Amino acid sequence: MFGARLFPGGIHPREGLNGKAENSGNPIQELPAVSRVIIPLSQHIGAPATATVKKGDHVLMGQVIGEAAGFVSAPVHASVSGTVVEVGNCKLASGATVPAVTIDNDFQDEWVELHPSEHPENLTAEEAQQIIRNAGIVGMGGATFPTQVKLTPGAGKSIEKLIINGAECEPYLTADHRLMLEHTGEIVDGVRLLMLAFGVKEAVIGVEDNKKDAISALTDACSGVEGLRVQALPVRYPQGGEKQLIYAITKREVPVGGLPIDVGCVVLNVGTVFACDQAIRMGIPLVRRVTTVGGLVNNPGNFLVRIGTPVKALFEACGGTLPSCKQLISGGPMMGISFKDTDCPVTKGTSGILALGKESIYPEETSCIRCARCLDACPMRLAPSRMDSYIRHERYDDAEKAGVMNCIECGACTYVCPAKRLLTQSFRMGKKVINTRKKAAAAKAAAEAAQLAAEKAANEKEKKEA
Amino acid sequence: MQRHLTITPSPHVRDRASTKNIMQEVCLALAPAGIASVILFGAAALKLICFSVLTCVLTEYLYQLITGHKSTVGDWSAVVTGLMLAYNLPATAPWWIPVVGGVIAILLVKQMFGGIGSNFMNPALTARAVLFISWGGLVASYPNTVYCGGVDTISSATPLALMAADPSQVKFMDLLLGNVPGILGETCKIALLLGGAYLIIRQIIDWRIPACFIGTVFVLYLLTSGFNFELAVKEIFAGGLMLGAFFMATDYATCPLSRKGRILMGLGCGIFTFVIRAYANYPEGTSFAILFMNVLTPLIDRYTMPKCFGEVKKHA
Amino acid sequence: MLKKDTFLGAFLNGLIYENPTFTLMLGMCPTLGITTAAMNGVGMGLATTVVLVFSNLFISMLRNIIPDKVRIPSYIVIIASFVTMIDLLMQAFLPSLRAALGTYIQLIVVNCIIFARAESFAAKNPPIQAIGDGLGMGLGFTWAITLLSCIRELIGSGSIFGFRLMPEAYQPMAIMNQVPGGFITLGILLILVNMIKAAIGRHNQARKEELA
Repeated sequence: MFGARLFPGGIHPREGLNGKAENSGNPIQELPAVSRVIIPLSQHIGAPATATVKKGDHVLMGQVIGEAAGFVSAPVHASVSGTVVEVGNCKLASGATVPAVTIDNDFQDEWVELHPSEHPENLTAEEAQQIIRNAGIVGMGGATFPTQVKLTPGAGKSIEKLIINGAECEPYLTADHRLMLEHTGEIVDGVRLLMLAFGVKEAVIGVEDNKKDAISALTDACSGVEGLRVQALPVRYPQGGEKQLIYAITKREVPVGGLPIDVGCVVLNVGTVFACDQAIRMGIPLVRRVTTVGGLVNNPGNFLVRIGTPVKALFEACGGTLPSCKQLISGGPMMGISFKDTDCPVTKGTSGILALGKESIYPEETSCIRCARCLDACPMRLAPSRMDSYIRHERYDDAEKAGVMNCIECGACTYVCPAKRLLTQSFRMGKKVINTRKKAAAAKAAAEAAQLAAEKAANEKEKKEA
Repeated sequence: MQRHLTITPSPHVRDRASTKNIMQEVCLALAPAGIASVILFGAAALKLICFSVLTCVLTEYLYQLITGHKSTVGDWSAVVTGLMLAYNLPATAPWWIPVVGGVIAILLVKQMFGGIGSNFMNPALTARAVLFISWGGLVASYPNTVYCGGVDTISSATPLALMAADPSQVKFMDLLLGNVPGILGETCKIALLLGGAYLIIRQIIDWRIPACFIGTVFVLYLLTSGFNFELAVKEIFAGGLMLGAFFMATDYATCPLSRKGRILMGLGCGIFTFVIRAYANYPEGTSFAILFMNVLTPLIDRYTMPKCFGEVKKHA
Repeated sequence: MLKKDTFLGAFLNGLIYENPTFTLMLGMCPTLGITTAAMNGVGMGLATTVVLVFSNLFISMLRNIIPDKVRIPSYIVIIASFVTMIDLLMQAFLPSLRAALGTYIQLIVVNCIIFARAESFAAKNPPIQAIGDGLGMGLGFTWAITLLSCIRELIGSGSIFGFRLMPEAYQPMAIMNQVPGGFITLGILLILVNMIKAAIGRHNQARKEELA
């Protein structure tokens, strides 16, 4: 039907008030700047950026305020012009405390000198990587993995296919949908520039079939670009999972423990591509993003937000939450993080801010009835009920053999479980324990090897002396 | 506002289905067969169903009260067990048969092995097997329906026994409507098909088990009877095959988890049912076939776990 | 804790603390096979006890003479001699009981309890304690399987030691006379025994904490 192969399992999560249907018609509005932004220096996977400004410094919009610390890291830029009032810490929605720079806005919106690429269509791969890195671009679907790292395939590997993720399979979220509708040209241009820079012959934009308007807009825009096409995907969560998306489009399975590049693919979110286009064409670093505000709020919408804006500003712009709101979520309802403190800032990975009602409160956990719905729902073809039982009995080796490390934590099993078991939660914990044990075992092995070597050396020395 | 907010790990939305919903839907699917049994066998059927369900629920409640466990009576699973147990009894059984059976099913088979989801054999079927072995005369008798001789008369031959001699002796319409001697729930095939179809459409049971189960029996009869189509069709409509295939073999706790395993479960049940029916001393083999496959379920599970996404590729 | 190296200690150990049926889970074959009537339980238990006492005694006395490498065959010779004696004695004096127990009497030769006690106790302890152990284990086995067979006989036949206890209307539950009935009864008894043990353990723990 779609020419796309369906990954195993998957679910159709339900939505409450102000879901996709209500919110996808709301155009992106620019959220007015707030008087004070808190910009975390760790908005990506990898080492936090190191602050390059100090208290009292005057910064311009787009100025680097944190430098990337290592290969897997990304710089951070000021999203307003103004004065640095504090270089300290802040709390993210996840509850983690990270270093952050607080800036008082002078409302001048004075930009630093921007350096658009002079020959955007003739970039080398290295130049493109450099531009993307300098612009602080990370995966904007929520994973926040530094994009230039993805675009740097290891030795002996090459990018055959660029896959652009416009699936937006999480319920409620419409930010990518709006972006695809309103910035169709920039997204297609961004893909084209990346294809040229990295010598990729083929690129596919995958969009879930519930966004027909976006599909037709993108198809029109793509018509002149060779090797670029749009593919409608079956509507099924987690269609936007990297491995699931690659399978749907290329029919290739990413090997266990492998990365998309192992099957010649790189997956980028549409928001990421848009940011890349902005960086290459105009030299604008990643200081703003589109975020959906949905669920139990008075006026849901899609907002262009400056990074570092406290989320309460978003709720205010939406006319506040409804009284039935019981939980606030950063991200989508399936994989997002719940938070209480509305002072926490919007980051590069904040794809949505949701207010959910009592359906998000945990029902009481009961015994597994072995209905096997979790097996049917698992997009990784794992056996969640079995892995859960292993982990709860602390049989971590068995859990690992059953494949718990391949769990993508999409939450599909927990969603369908009629006994309301906390499956995903148990896997997260199990993975953590297994990783810790592995590290400990590796350290022990290294220590033993060192001791053995030392003993051997001592023995030889003795022999020589004798 | 903030006071009412909660923090929980993702996912933050859940499907509406719960254990209770599922069990209620199974009860609903079992209802047509129950109504049919009351129509066919009269008030005796209703009495047995009531005794069975009440005993099961009460046993579960009392056990959990005494042991200090949280009561799971509210999840309706004991009601399902009670119904299934009653459907496996003949209308002539005395009142204490379902009571003893209910205690065995819930106490011995379900609760002592850890309650819902942990039993290794189908509680209702195990109870039936215990009753069958203990009081064969009372449990393994097959009364006529009210429309065909009356419940008080014990039929000398079930449709299965008659068919073994000559398949044309049994009318297909009688089999379909249930106007044949037999146990409460098994006779009316229309009611069972209705319930089974409902469960499959609602995706509560996996169609693979009943399809493979009934299909295997059908094919085996077809093959061994020299392609006697009439016999094969009547065989799958006779006895407890439908009841077992739709409601017993699909019991969550005692059937394999994976789709492949469920196909094996259906095949195994079919083969053993056929073997017992065609060659063994017992008139009907469905329940023992299912019990046997119940015991094999952990083994089947062990060898049919799905391969992780991406794993096949790696070995290729 | 109980001292196993005295006669009384070894006796009580077998009778209660390390009961061969409920704790060591040895000798399951006769436990499930013959416990359909109370009389069978007593007969089987006592026959085993006699064999156990004498085999323990002789193995203990010979423990320093029997070479380690051939100890298993030696034990079998000793045990088999006593089993044969018991078998013949029963055939002569208790023919009906012998008929009920059938081949299980001869199978005492390979009863795990006797082997286990020979290997783990009699071969390491002096004769007096070995007799205590044999007596304790044997009587422990006897009371356990008698209890089991009383329950099975009561439910499966409505009587105990042949005396009808159940009312006339009672319809015996035939499965109790078959092996599944043995498994079910043993399982339930084990649950009860373990519950009692756990309760005693908790009680002792509480007392210890009180003292400390």
